[in-house]
Amino acid sequence: MSQNNLKVKSLSKRFGNVVALNNFSLEVTKGELVTLLGPSGCGKTTALRIVAGLERQDSGTVFLDSRDLTLVPAHQRNMGMVFQAYSLFPNLTVAENVAFGLQMRKVDRVARLKRAHELLDLVGLDSQSTRFPHQLSGGQQQRVALARALAFEPEILLLDEPLSALDAQVRSNLREEIRRLQLSLGTTTLFVTHDQEEAMSISDRVGVMKEGKLEQIDTPDELYNHPKSAFVANFVGLMNQVSGTKTGNNVSVFGKTLKVKNEVVSDGRVMVFIRPEFIELESSEIDADAKVISRLFLGSVSQVICQMHDGTIIHSLLASRVSGEFAPGICVKIRVNEEKVLVSNG
Amino acid sequence: MDLMIKIKSQMPVVIVLFSLGLFFLLPMGSAFEYSIRNGLEGGYSFKNYLWAIREEEFFYYAFRSFWLSSVTVVVTLVVLVPLLTWLHVTKSRAQGWIDGFSLLPLVIPVVAFAVGAQLALPDFVKNTVLELPFLYFILSLPYAYRALDIGLRAIPLKTLVEAARSSGANWRRTITVVIVPITRMAVLATVALTFALSLGEYTLTVLLHWDTFPTWVTFVAQENLLGAIAISMMTLIIPFLLLAAISLLAPSNKNER
Repeated sequence: MSQNNLKVKSLSKRFGNVVALNNFSLEVTKGELVTLLGPSGCGKTTALRIVAGLERQDSGTVFLDSRDLTLVPAHQRNMGMVFQAYSLFPNLTVAENVAFGLQMRKVDRVARLKRAHELLDLVGLDSQSTRFPHQLSGGQQQRVALARALAFEPEILLLDEPLSALDAQVRSNLREEIRRLQLSLGTTTLFVTHDQEEAMSISDRVGVMKEGKLEQIDTPDELYNHPKSAFVANFVGLMNQVSGTKTGNNVSVFGKTLKVKNEVVSDGRVMVFIRPEFIELESSEIDADAKVISRLFLGSVSQVICQMHDGTIIHSLLASRVSGEFAPGICVKIRVNEEKVLVSNG
Repeated sequence: MDLMIKIKSQMPVVIVLFSLGLFFLLPMGSAFEYSIRNGLEGGYSFKNYLWAIREEEFFYYAFRSFWLSSVTVVVTLVVLVPLLTWLHVTKSRAQGWIDGFSLLPLVIPVVAFAVGAQLALPDFVKNTVLELPFLYFILSLPYAYRALDIGLRAIPLKTLVEAARSSGANWRRTITVVIVPITRMAVLATVALTFALSLGEYTLTVLLHWDTFPTWVTFVAQENLLGAIAISMMTLIIPFLLLAAISLLAPSNKNER
């Protein structure tokens, strides 16, 4: 028996002349949290809305446990959804909001309110059950929305950028809470975001989207360390991308020759990708490769930005306790961890 | 000092309310004064009111206008709430056209409208007084449409509809359980406007040869002018009390924002 809970096959969708989805396919296994990550307009929300039944695809199919959902209306899909905008019903109390899905399923009042209190307890808001939405903070409203989406035990939980309207601290707490709940309830979840930190921190797998297509779908670790395209490399985490020339196992880049292990890429002009944490700096007035132009303090780490002699800009990520010596204007030698260098043609 | 500043800041509001009060209350007060006159005998009494309610046809036509107006309200809500919800949620291009169409009753003369209705409506509709609610609905469309439209624009309709649908509500329950309660004030305004316009509609009713309360009042006025004014005063009070009752009976809105 297939473990695929959700299967999206060759979805295409246009809005006028704009192609939102172009032959988009995706499989999500039971209990998995998969995130669709991409820039604005890449089609991730459209894909989610088609899965939810709130948008109709031009072509392609959505299967849930082998059941074709193409003609099933949104209210019969049994999918809970949390929206980017606050979506609680303003005329209902917190508990009534959470119980709404059960009310629609004709569960009796006592049972549905009991379930609502259980869910509110899970998101730490049982004490607020008699309040109205406008009496809650943004973070609390989204937690209630999450409880409402989970109350009727949906087969799939759909999250459409639910954290984007919240401030940084609340956002960080809530994303941990989403993951905790998702793991404890085992609900298959499809999450949409443009925030790569959010995607990488809570997902089992992340699908990076570009122009209506999946560029790559992998575990966060694999996506970060082995991006399959320049777009993915640049979109996921900070990446130094420079052009170089490959000859055999050597790559000449910003005046240095690096030894790389990549037999697939042919010799000639190549793109070289190096994560900032794999670039080390050493202060040196003699034989300096670059000059520090700025330093950004990011907490435990700092980002040091250097300019090579040929004008190339290179980012290095160093522990903040050692980055202090690299003030703007300092000349530095650059050492690259060659094992971590990625090379691709074009 | 603080009191003076408070009085000065409230002054424009007081002036506007006073002027509006005069504008509405003075004619009504005058009409009321006229309705309790004893005619040539002089003095004041409620005999014109007593005469009116002793008239056999008073309650017949009052009830007839009441239920025709109620049917009009039902037709208006059943047509407009789903239509406007759908237009807003789908952001349909048809909205511009329908907005424009809803204003047509303001520019089409009622005579043309009556003739059109006589020519276009099938006999089984024309032969019953139930044709009136559908025509009243069209006449009140410019006001009812806008009252509802404003209410629906004031809420995040698309998100709320989608939240309801993804929670398992079909379209009918989304409208009845979510949209109508949330836009209660706009719905009540629509009910009030439609009811008041239908209750007082005269020209179209006469042109289509039907008798309702306003046409009966006109007929009565030929015989007893003071009595007709007393009836008119009562017809002002009845919808006022009705609408006040609707507003009071509507569930409290104080916990919403």
